[in-house]
Amino acid sequence: MATLQLIDLAKRFTKKVWGVRKMDLEVADKEFIVLLGPSGCGKTTTMRMIAGLENVTRGTILLDDRDITDIAPRNRHVSMVFQNYAVWPHMTVFDNIAFSLKLAKLPHDVIKRRVRETADMVRIGELLKRLPGQLSGGQQQRVALARALAVKPKVFLLDEPLSNLDAKLRVNMRTEMKAIHQQTEATSIFVTHDQSEAMSMADRIVIMKDGKIVQIGTPDDVYFRSADMFVAGFIGTPPANFFKVLCSYDSGGIVLKHTHFKLEIDAEKYDKLKEYNRKEIILGVRPEDLLIASEDKAVFSEQILVIEPQGSHQVVALSFEGSIVKMVIPAGIKLNHGDKIGLDFNRERLHFFDKETEKRIILRQHLV
Amino acid sequence: MASLNLQTILDKETRKKMIPYMLIAPVIIYYFLFWIFPVLNAIIESFKSIEGVWTLGNYIHIFKDPVFYRALLNTAFLVFFSVTIEFILAFGLALLINTKFKGSSFFLFLAMIPMALPAVAVGAMWSSGLATRGWMNSVLMTFKIVDDAGKIIFLAGGNIASMWLIILIDAWQVIPFVMIILLAGLQGIGAESREAGYIFGGTKFQVLRKITIPMLKPTITTAMILRIISAIQIWLIIVMLFGFNRIPVLLEQVVLNVDELGSDFFERIGMALSVIVALIVSAAAILYLKVSGSFEKEAEK
Ligand SMILES: Nc1ncnc2c1ncn2[C@@H]1O[C@H](COP(=O)(O)OP(=O)(O)O)[C@@H](O)[C@H]1O
Ligand SMILES: [Mg+2]
Repeated sequence: MATLQLIDLAKRFTKKVWGVRKMDLEVADKEFIVLLGPSGCGKTTTMRMIAGLENVTRGTILLDDRDITDIAPRNRHVSMVFQNYAVWPHMTVFDNIAFSLKLAKLPHDVIKRRVRETADMVRIGELLKRLPGQLSGGQQQRVALARALAVKPKVFLLDEPLSNLDAKLRVNMRTEMKAIHQQTEATSIFVTHDQSEAMSMADRIVIMKDGKIVQIGTPDDVYFRSADMFVAGFIGTPPANFFKVLCSYDSGGIVLKHTHFKLEIDAEKYDKLKEYNRKEIILGVRPEDLLIASEDKAVFSEQILVIEPQGSHQVVALSFEGSIVKMVIPAGIKLNHGDKIGLDFNRERLHFFDKETEKRIILRQHLV
Repeated sequence: MASLNLQTILDKETRKKMIPYMLIAPVIIYYFLFWIFPVLNAIIESFKSIEGVWTLGNYIHIFKDPVFYRALLNTAFLVFFSVTIEFILAFGLALLINTKFKGSSFFLFLAMIPMALPAVAVGAMWSSGLATRGWMNSVLMTFKIVDDAGKIIFLAGGNIASMWLIILIDAWQVIPFVMIILLAGLQGIGAESREAGYIFGGTKFQVLRKITIPMLKPTITTAMILRIISAIQIWLIIVMLFGFNRIPVLLEQVVLNVDELGSDFFERIGMALSVIVALIVSAAAILYLKVSGSFEKEAEK
């Protein structure tokens, strides 16, 4: 039952250092939003402004249409899970979870019941009498989670909550946290710099760079319709490959000329590229859209540099024109490094970017 | 062959175990020569008369002397009020500086100046300042707070007034020291613990009481014990301001007996007095540890 709006939000720390330059975001009720971006792009600063731990330099924060920009943290109905957990070492797990409930002067039996419920939800029901010092990192993480859930907040903020866990636990916690969200339906903002974490958890992903939003969209949006080269090069394991090509259009169709290959594409489908006739543009191709082709059909051929088996699939790296091109192929295809293979593009899924602005060239096909 | 092997391994392990002892050996030797030996000697001498006969006479002399009880009372008064006041002010300052306001590091530097001064210099500074023709009165006159006829005679007050003066000067010198210990502790806690407190419903005061202070507890205990121990041993400033025997305190009496009166008899009295002071210091430290420890258990319930 909560919507959150950030309007023209900005935070300047010193004359030269901006934490956040401009944020405009509307979070719908029950939505699970993920803020994604490289380290230092302003994710934590955004969360801290929403929580009230940081004064805003400019802009407004609305929670259920109420302006909370200048309200004390404790009156915001927002709760937070910190990256380093920040559980209180001198309090038992019970007291950690009960802290906010006690301050809210809830009756004793209500507090007890609520603590038990939330502790069971994150599966630390057995640990209530322990001190945090006696718990593992993963368990402390769960305490921090329970403490934040116990208040039944309007908005639930999670700042890289999984980044200190080991790889296996991290993947398990993803699933568990998503299940918890489906159960509690609390409007949530989750911060991460790990794009696969973002893709697997988010209703919508907000991709940030240098204190600004680059793209807001569903995981499919940001993957298949990346707004610019930064997003295409950030999302995906491995991310997209880029080729600089000269676009030429004539009555026969569109030809993309690269120093090492020539690619003819359907003029009708990529109609919009006519505007770029005789200009250089950037062609983006996802690793799975590079296909192995027989010699007569190959657009270009290249030697294999490295093969990285992943079990379910393999990542093949080719050295191409001084940079690395990566492709994903099914498991079971026997290849060795040094083999020369022919390559083709999946012409249904090509991405084009303006060479100057690095922004996506929006093609007609996406409007259909 | 096998047993030989085992022996060399054992040898290696014993040698490894010996290393720390060998490293601390010089310290222990130093300790014995320059500390334990003289201390033991003083304790033994305090139980002997001038003729070298075992006796409790020195102690009986002290316990019959009314000045001893005045010194005890004065010391207790000084310790209680100076430690309390210093702690509260130092804690407030540490909290303030920890907010990292603009210019807080310069303020920290300023506050540390008194700490850098040796006690003798502090004594000299204040005794010249508080003299009737001293700089304190000059300053007050410059600001027209007092006139020439109304000069304050700082050092002529009664027992209690003089003691407040001593507490004031001691606080001036000691607050930075306590503040820095507390500040280091505060910085060790990290801001997130407190911020979590604010987010989960705490006011400034509630966060201070339920999170900051309990987490700072080990630091507070250290600072308090150090302060209680050194407050029991206050004497130099008092002597420099008031001379001997005006405001008797425990350690001043030791110095008086050993250094000033100095005869063989008084020296033994002084030694007995030092033994008493040492016992009081240890008792106070242990008592404080016990009391703060039991509070901790109470809070856990
Ligand atoms: N308290 C602060 N004082 C000055 N600069 C800060 C402060 N906090 C963050 N910054 C700067 O603001 C930018 C954004 O930081 P942050 O929001 O922590 O990034 P992220 O969480 O995305 O890694 C960084 O350049 C960082 O150095
Ligand atoms: Mg961060």
